[in-house]
Amino acid sequence: MSLARNWGGLVLVALAPAWAFAQEPPPPVTFSAYGTLGLIHSSEHNADYLVDAFQSNGAGRTHEWSGAADTRLGLQLTATFTPRVSAVVQVLSQQNFEGSYRPIVEWANVKYEITPDFSVRAGRVVLPIFMVTDTRRVGYANPWVRPPAELYSLVPLTSNDGVDASFRARIGEATNTIQATAGRSDSDFPNSGGFNAGTAKVRDLTAIVDAFEWNNAVLRFSYGTAKLTIDAQEPLFAAFRQFGPPGTAISDRYSVNDRRVTFVGIGASYDPGPWFAMTEWARFDTHSLLGTKSAWYVSGGYRIGKVTPYATYARIKADSATSDPGLPLAGLPPQVLPTAVFLNTVLNQQLNLLPQQHTVSVGVRWDFARSAALKVQYDRVEVAPGSLGMFGNFGPDYQPGGRANLFSVAVDFVY
Amino acid sequence: MRFRLLIGLVLACGIAGAALGAPPDEVVAVVSAKSSVTALTASEVADIFLGKSSRFPDGTQATPIDQPEESAVRDRFYSRYTGKSPAQVKAIWSKLIFTGRGLPPVQAADAAQVKKMLAANPAAIGYIDSSHVDAGVRVVGRP
Repeated sequence: MSLARNWGGLVLVALAPAWAFAQEPPPPVTFSAYGTLGLIHSSEHNADYLVDAFQSNGAGRTHEWSGAADTRLGLQLTATFTPRVSAVVQVLSQQNFEGSYRPIVEWANVKYEITPDFSVRAGRVVLPIFMVTDTRRVGYANPWVRPPAELYSLVPLTSNDGVDASFRARIGEATNTIQATAGRSDSDFPNSGGFNAGTAKVRDLTAIVDAFEWNNAVLRFSYGTAKLTIDAQEPLFAAFRQFGPPGTAISDRYSVNDRRVTFVGIGASYDPGPWFAMTEWARFDTHSLLGTKSAWYVSGGYRIGKVTPYATYARIKADSATSDPGLPLAGLPPQVLPTAVFLNTVLNQQLNLLPQQHTVSVGVRWDFARSAALKVQYDRVEVAPGSLGMFGNFGPDYQPGGRANLFSVAVDFVY
Repeated sequence: MRFRLLIGLVLACGIAGAALGAPPDEVVAVVSAKSSVTALTASEVADIFLGKSSRFPDGTQATPIDQPEESAVRDRFYSRYTGKSPAQVKAIWSKLIFTGRGLPPVQAADAAQVKKMLAANPAAIGYIDSSHVDAGVRVVGRP
């Protein structure tokens, strides 16, 4: 865990005395919490189903039933110092890259409201990439057990160390909100997905989101760009570079070193009350080994009293090649030939990690208590031929391009 | 004698009829009588209570006041003005809370406290059963 991930804890400690010992009138501090107890079962026993690239294991090969995908607890303090200045600290515990539930500071920021409709925040702020990115951990706020994994795994980051500004304008009966973000982040990931474990370093991040709300309809557009470095991949490219110009060309093309990545997404939702429908499409272009991928989903549900059955179709595909001829082998001296063959194999294995699959999900949410909901969900995952899909921790008998049935049950609550 | 009985019956029926036919208490959106706000549409009221807007249409600041969870008037208010169930309203607020975009409205204990808070703050807006309306408040919205 990098230092950057922990500094927010200092804010929490610094805030505590401010409200605990304040004389009258005490600045209002609100405590809130959310959490999910979830279990998932996968019929694919030769690999783990991994919802998110930062989790170390899941259901399938490691566990028959796993709590890792959805179980989490978030605690939040919101402090209002003056009508214009407030601060939020959110600590989140969920399975991480080490397989532990060590809490991390998800958000810690100070907000200044220049007007009720124009605010700026500094600190660790949400990275609002997708429609429900900012609440993807808050199961209670979403209709499903988890947001459609195909799309939400495209960019698994949820926070950003930096600043953001939000401007809300009223246009007749409609509301338009523009949010701009700048910052950086470090995220540790395990080797479960097939890459060497390491840290994804995001630098020079800028993103802009525009959300237009009119009555029950929301239209949303987002765009982001950053420089991404994953040092764990560098040994591979250093080896390629030893093979002269062809190796250097491969390295230049695929290395994840200070690489410009771009993201674009559009989404729409309609929720008149008795039913809801939503859809999103997004594309993530890394100009590197991580490739270019796009994903979309469409989802809808119908509310019958406290019970909401829903269905979702989601798809992710690679928009860049999942294989490469690699180093030309002709004419290589026999003593380096095995190395070249090996490097080509590794390169192609990694390119083939670009997930290609689609999932049909059906589920039901039951609001059995005022602040708690029970959900059950069935997913039928179909992996494209030759692809490894969104699986990891592969066993020797894993067959690419298979099918898996997932069964999930979750209880969400908010306080 | 007979005539009197008849009048008695008619009166009794009339009273019973009035009691049966009277509309049940309507939930109305109210502001302080000192507020500059005079009328709001149901969707303008909904936007203020669901955190979509922090202002009245005339641009002045709006501070919503809720009634207690589990109270019938609260459930009726949200159902009539926003078309949403208590769970949906809770889900909407949990989105705003856990993204640091806002905190839910302050909560009054009952209609009397709503009226007290309105009197103290001309920017406040609440909802009460129409039977609780008095000279201190102005009805600005009906479902």
